Amino acid sequence: MIRLEHVTYTYPDAARPALRDVSLSIPAGAFALVVGTSGAGKSTLLRCLNGLVPHFSGGTLTGRVAVDGLDPVALAPRGMSRAVGFVFQDPEAQFVMDRVEDEIAFALENAAIPPQEMHVRVAEALAQLHLTPLRQRKLETLSGGEKQRVAIASALALRPRVLALDEPTSQLDPQSAVELLDALVRLSKALGLTVVLAEHRLERILPFVDRIIYLPDDGAPVLTGPPRDVLPHVPLLPPLQALARTLGWSPLPLTLEEGRCFSTDLTNQADLLIPLKPVQSVEKKAPVLETHGLEVAYGSTTALRGVDVALYPREIVALLGRNGAGKTTLLKCLVGLLRPRRGEMLVEGRSIAKTDVADVCRQVGYLPQDPNALLFADTVLDELHITLHNHGIPVGDAPIAPEILLERLGLRDKIQQYPRDLSVGERQRVALGAIMVTQPRVLLLDEPTRGLDYRAKAQLLDLLRNWRAEGLAILLVTHDVELIAETADRVVVLDQGEIVAQGRPAEVLRASLTFTPQIAHLFPDRDWLTVEDALAGIRNATASTRA
Amino acid sequence: MLHAAAWFVWLTAALIAVSTTRNPLYLTLALAVFMTTVYVIRRPGETYAAPLAPGRFALYVIPLAAFINALLSRVGETILFAIPQTWPLIGGPITAEALVYGALNGLLLTALFTAFAALNLAVPIRDLIRFIPRAFYPVAIVASIAVTFAPATLRQMQQIREAQAIRGHRMRRLRDWLPLFMPLLTGGLERALQLAEAMASRGFASETAQIHTGRTQAVSIVGLLGILSGGLLTAWQQASWGVALIVGGSLTIATALWLTGRSVPHTTYRRTPWGYREWLVTGGALVAIAGFLSWGEATRAYNPYPILTWPAFDALAGTALLGFLLPALVVE
Repeated sequence: MIRLEHVTYTYPDAARPALRDVSLSIPAGAFALVVGTSGAGKSTLLRCLNGLVPHFSGGTLTGRVAVDGLDPVALAPRGMSRAVGFVFQDPEAQFVMDRVEDEIAFALENAAIPPQEMHVRVAEALAQLHLTPLRQRKLETLSGGEKQRVAIASALALRPRVLALDEPTSQLDPQSAVELLDALVRLSKALGLTVVLAEHRLERILPFVDRIIYLPDDGAPVLTGPPRDVLPHVPLLPPLQALARTLGWSPLPLTLEEGRCFSTDLTNQADLLIPLKPVQSVEKKAPVLETHGLEVAYGSTTALRGVDVALYPREIVALLGRNGAGKTTLLKCLVGLLRPRRGEMLVEGRSIAKTDVADVCRQVGYLPQDPNALLFADTVLDELHITLHNHGIPVGDAPIAPEILLERLGLRDKIQQYPRDLSVGERQRVALGAIMVTQPRVLLLDEPTRGLDYRAKAQLLDLLRNWRAEGLAILLVTHDVELIAETADRVVVLDQGEIVAQGRPAEVLRASLTFTPQIAHLFPDRDWLTVEDALAGIRNATASTRA
Repeated sequence: MLHAAAWFVWLTAALIAVSTTRNPLYLTLALAVFMTTVYVIRRPGETYAAPLAPGRFALYVIPLAAFINALLSRVGETILFAIPQTWPLIGGPITAEALVYGALNGLLLTALFTAFAALNLAVPIRDLIRFIPRAFYPVAIVASIAVTFAPATLRQMQQIREAQAIRGHRMRRLRDWLPLFMPLLTGGLERALQLAEAMASRGFASETAQIHTGRTQAVSIVGLLGILSGGLLTAWQQASWGVALIVGGSLTIATALWLTGRSVPHTTYRRTPWGYREWLVTGGALVAIAGFLSWGEATRAYNPYPILTWPAFDALAGTALLGFLLPALVVE
């Protein structure tokens, strides 16, 4: 269905090719996953399939691309529109119309499909993605997951044989992401569609995939094949596969069920009763940030009700909850962007009810979901200087020299670059720099791992751990349970504006059904949450049985 | 849902009817009819962000118009009180006639506003855009995108404002707009590029319409010249020639657009069928305007100057105005 032969592509003005001598083939009906770090060329590869590369990007492409017998380079995106449906990261950025039906009909109108047939096809596309009840709705009233389903339905309206999706779940919460992937799997089976998608969160998608395309970023040749053949060569993997690879489980488990066969074997043969994690007692002196009976309302709907949170120095607290539970609302309250209806907020014992947002933010750093909203300067270094300037601090008197902070953020050689040219992870770290340059005592992060690959995530983790060691109090809002398993000292669960659970990650995460890390799934009667926990635990146990 | 064209006929007739009268009785009646229409067709489920409800519009505009006119116009015999002549500009008598005349203008504006509000509520913007000739398909798409782009940009603006506030940004001088404007601009451009990619991937092509642009332009200019010279001739009392030229010019332009439109390979999804409801609404509107113009001939005009009188009212003309109620009656 899809065949690439010796494809090399270089963006205009780029020093190195984005794709180097890529040859691969994907059979019809495959469900193929493209993996690789940000910047490895995943998007570029997908864009080759319908001619967006090189027709929109410019640059030079050599080699041959064939999709369903057609040549995207010759036909251009418009000519490929009937063969390849394309879905982008951000559903909102691809909408042309304002209503669900009209949006789906857009491609059909362009293709001059007769009105009668158009009605049939729109109805079909709506039904395939369970959108029929929403057909008259305005797009802006839909949830993120619904929007992305509309985008897929619109791409499918022309009945393409190939569907390419560029990180379609990166803007969605885990629940919607799982629903979207389910819908995709069902479609590919029902229609015999060839699906090619790029995705960072492998743990969500691996169970469904029958083919993996791995793009290494060191220029090594591209690997394609069934997941079990390719995964062992991919450096950063989800916890299940990482553990399996270290312990030499074979064949490599792709689903938790497969993994559990190995893990129960292991727990049966070795006497693994030693609980590992000693309970770390956080020095609870005075909280650096606390709220009492916080209540926030938007109009007549109450977003937060009686919320009491305290944040102590030297700890990382994770705030969990579904979409709309009030997590972002709470963060905005804590920096004064929203004023509560009732209750009070104290920073180092002083109320911030009457303090200006700008002044609160010298004490409390806040990284919003989209760091792009922060960045506007010409260079990375300027971003930090601007924050200092905003607060009226001369660069020389900065609590931490901007250059030193940037070095700690791993951005030393990017100091003079234009922030928006950097990768997602780097841009996020620039934004962190712009916030942390005043050395606040508290750092709040809203969904910091959204859209990050495993490497960028690991870098962020290191940063947070180091800052914690230096005494910073960190509050993380996240859906990412693996992140919580690896960093958090304490978990707070918010549901419909109220705190429903609070405690050590091991206790809270185990008690919940939706927020369970993979390792906890594998070893349900142990206290382990991360690969390191499990490995250390198993090593201890084996050592003690030998002794 | 009613066909957009039926709404257009309704709106045009309603606007003509309202703007030919200053009689407060007819104006109030028409306003009541339009308000009822707005009230009936307002969908309760969908959150429709009306910029200004007609009722509130009336509350602002009528007193304001009355106040301003009373200050500016010194005519009228019923003097309510007088501002000392020594006060610049506003000094002089305030008359009841001037107040009433201003309020009537306010009432007229409110009626017009309410008629537009009804159309705005009833017809999705997408349907309005379909009235753009097919030859201008890309223009129509751009208009449609603008409609979806604007609210997204507003949301983004809010996000950026918050993001800058938390790094200590304060609005003091004009320069302080830069941190808000730059991310908005770059973000907007990025989104525009992505949208262009998405549209191309779904088979949209802006170049098809340009095939005959040159020829269409030439023909359209000829048509326009015809209309212009026709207008001049009418002014020079050569009415029959003038009208012929105007009609000829308009036909030329219409044909040019139609021919170009045919060469754009494109179909339209979901034309609302023209059914008995549409006939009722257009029929009602046409009867209303015809009845109002002929029966109301003598009573339409009303002038409060030089002294207030009770306006005349013709029952038949008043009844004719009720024809504008049909959309409210037939809408599902």
